[in-house]
Amino acid sequence: MTFEEARDYLLQKARALGIEAEVLATYSRELTIQAHGGRVEEITQATQGGVGVRVVVAGKTGYAYTEERTPEALDWVLQEAHENALLQSETGGFLPSGGALGQHDLLGEGLSAPLEQKRQTALALEAGLRADPRVKQVQMTRYAERETQATLGSTQGVAGAFRNGYALLLTSAVMAEGQSLKQGYEFDLSKEFHALEPGRTAQAFLQNTGRLLGARPLKTGRYRAYLEPKAFGQLLGMMGWFLLSAKNVLEGKSLLADKLGQRVASEIFTLVDDPTLPDGLASRPFDAEGTAARRTVFIENGVLRTFAHNSETARRMGVENTGHASRSYKGVLGVAPSNLFVQPGQGVRLEEGIIVTDLMGLHAGANPISGEFSLQALGLRVEGGEVAYPVENFTVAGNFLTLLAHITALGTKLEWNPMMGIVGSPMVEVAELSFAGA
Amino acid sequence: MLAEALVGDVLQKARVGGADFAELYVERWRRRALRVLSGEVKEATSGLEYGAGLRLFYGTEVVYAYTNDLSPESLLELTDTLVRLKGSAGQVDERGRGGLDFRKATAQGLHAPEIPFTARDKRYRLERIREAEAGARVGPQIKQVQSDLMEWEQEVLVATSEGTWAEDRRVRTRLYVTAIAQDESGMQTGVVGPGLSVGLELFDRYPPAEVGRKAGLQALTNLRAKPAPAGTMPVVIGSGFGGVIFHEALGHLLETTSVAKKASVLSDKLGEKVASEVVTYIDDGTTPHGWGSQEFDDEGQATERTVLIENGVLKSYMVDRLGSLLTGYRPTGSGRRQDYTFAPTSRMRNTFIAPGSTPKEKLFEGIEYGLYAADMGGGQVRPGSGEYNFAVKEGYIIRHGRLEEPVRGAMLVGKGPESIQRIVAVSDDLEMGPGMCGSLSGSLPVEVGQPHLLISEIVVGGQA
Repeated sequence: MTFEEARDYLLQKARALGIEAEVLATYSRELTIQAHGGRVEEITQATQGGVGVRVVVAGKTGYAYTEERTPEALDWVLQEAHENALLQSETGGFLPSGGALGQHDLLGEGLSAPLEQKRQTALALEAGLRADPRVKQVQMTRYAERETQATLGSTQGVAGAFRNGYALLLTSAVMAEGQSLKQGYEFDLSKEFHALEPGRTAQAFLQNTGRLLGARPLKTGRYRAYLEPKAFGQLLGMMGWFLLSAKNVLEGKSLLADKLGQRVASEIFTLVDDPTLPDGLASRPFDAEGTAARRTVFIENGVLRTFAHNSETARRMGVENTGHASRSYKGVLGVAPSNLFVQPGQGVRLEEGIIVTDLMGLHAGANPISGEFSLQALGLRVEGGEVAYPVENFTVAGNFLTLLAHITALGTKLEWNPMMGIVGSPMVEVAELSFAGA
Repeated sequence: MLAEALVGDVLQKARVGGADFAELYVERWRRRALRVLSGEVKEATSGLEYGAGLRLFYGTEVVYAYTNDLSPESLLELTDTLVRLKGSAGQVDERGRGGLDFRKATAQGLHAPEIPFTARDKRYRLERIREAEAGARVGPQIKQVQSDLMEWEQEVLVATSEGTWAEDRRVRTRLYVTAIAQDESGMQTGVVGPGLSVGLELFDRYPPAEVGRKAGLQALTNLRAKPAPAGTMPVVIGSGFGGVIFHEALGHLLETTSVAKKASVLSDKLGEKVASEVVTYIDDGTTPHGWGSQEFDDEGQATERTVLIENGVLKSYMVDRLGSLLTGYRPTGSGRRQDYTFAPTSRMRNTFIAPGSTPKEKLFEGIEYGLYAADMGGGQVRPGSGEYNFAVKEGYIIRHGRLEEPVRGAMLVGKGPESIQRIVAVSDDLEMGPGMCGSLSGSLPVEVGQPHLLISEIVVGGQA
């Protein structure tokens, strides 16, 4: 059975049983080429897909999914989803009604290139790193591409599909100078294979990791912080998004719950999500429920304007749906950003403090419910308006909302980071953060 | 799950295409998840995952493909694609001729559930979860309680061109309770999440009310806790999930995935003293019903108990098939993968620091000012530099050898090889705790464990 056949089979069965159902089918293709020691050490080629249903029975919602597309497996899915729905005591569930959303291709021929060229790209990146004698070990060098086709359909009339994808160049390596060792990573990501340049990525790695060699301990204290886009992007993708999710607001987990219309950040801070960006890596014509994509300003000059909604959270809070429904075929209805970014500012002038180049341990050291974080960081000491020397073995700690309120300047250049969703950020200067070290 | 003749055909076809070794991995999962928030079912979901991964070795070069179309046409075409990717199509190799004679091995049920999922209905689960919720409401400050119940059943077949045919069945259950406490000072959480390779008897081994109560008390402790101090100080790390620090700082550095590439700071150190002599470190895939236990690894090899470090001396790495080819070390049944979408690599199973002889109370004596990390969150390591970090979920200040006020938000950071030299005393109260470990071959259930132990100095990241 094809994915479309599976979708139609499920919708037909659901109608016959008198159940409201929404079917999301995703199919993806992936190619990964890993280079090591001047040769290709691993190639992975894959196709994967599945079908997930959300059903509503008398206002109760249930989910189930399958990767096996046989009538037996699909029947099991409907039956399980039905049973799961009956466990709910809440009866406000519904499926949004909609219409034909069309078929969209956001990827085009971006990934078309001979396999050999892709192998050479991975090999060239590794060679570019090895050309520098300070590179002691190249742990991993990878070219990866992925294209995804998502198909949505419901008994309430929603029907649409879109295709998207990306090509990625990624490396992780260790540099050494004297006794000093630093492991770093670098990546480049694009919807066009031909936009990737291994030489550029190698230079970026050597620059970004090489500058950390010879790091000294950092004295514990409070310092002005200059968060590079990679560092702030990760914090924002995890903490910021959690706080903006209307689902978390309704479940009593967001510190921003009662802050609509209030100042929650420095007045130079504007936070936007735009799924319609032509080159956006997370662009989409519609969300997981079929709501058309549009630009949303969450925080405008420091003032919280709206939370991120799907149809369910919007109805419960009595506000307009922002079109941020998310669901994978294995998952449940949530809210997720598309291309989330901080509006760049007037520029940052280095004075005194610490440039934080990267943060580690976010899954454990950042608690989005309390808003508090204490994270291992890498960075550079700034003295007298200049980078003085690299620092290591320290953490940076604070409260995310306090940090937002104390932003004093924003860089002019937006950089995109795929570590925690697709998040864009300029350099962010914060008046003061707590650093723990020697 | 697949006919023997088809498996044989796929493996033979790969050999004819010039591969030195071919491995077919097939699995079917049934997963159920229940998320209950403040007594109400928020989300209930069930899933069926089904797919195959084919891995070919050409010397130490690997090609891997996966799909969830398991028809004979699809699998044979997949094999062709892989052979083409390697650029060796059309080669006919003598080694590929002749039939494959599989040596069949089936799981003995060492970790089989006593109460299978089918023995109780969904209402039963909901009742037990509501006990956890009630248990967590230890004070009016507890505003929300979320309970997640996860049930996993996995059937696995691994067959290789060397005649391996291993079938395993793995059943795991985990209950994860998050209590959220709130007052005018803010919002804090407490999290307790027991999990084992068992069925619904998990509820008997860990009564839900007790699990909930612990989560609730932890949330209250964090609510009255002050921000952790910042600086370098002695730290006593609690038993059980406290072992996560050495999972990060030591365990990951002993996987051949990084050792073979000399990308670990502990490469080429067998027989050398790498830790303080009070440290014995073991990775055991055979612990009955352990969260990280299984009878076979994901390369079809029987799991074992591997002593990694004995009295400070490095005895063994954790070795998968590719790691063994690259290093010559004996495979240790450590090849694991999240599912068919990943090729296996060397991974941990149930890893712990063996009990020592110092009574727990003695660890605190003589500490003028330090931190007691009673319970831990997760962490992370960069094997190439050994730099690691991990978060303290529940912590207290030690002053003049005594436990004093609770502190929250502490993050411990350091370099693994230095920290293991600084373990000065290990107590005798070994406990284990379940976690999910993310690495190259995906996210896997593992146990970490240790007795209480004392590290002479470590950087504590808190508020300066």
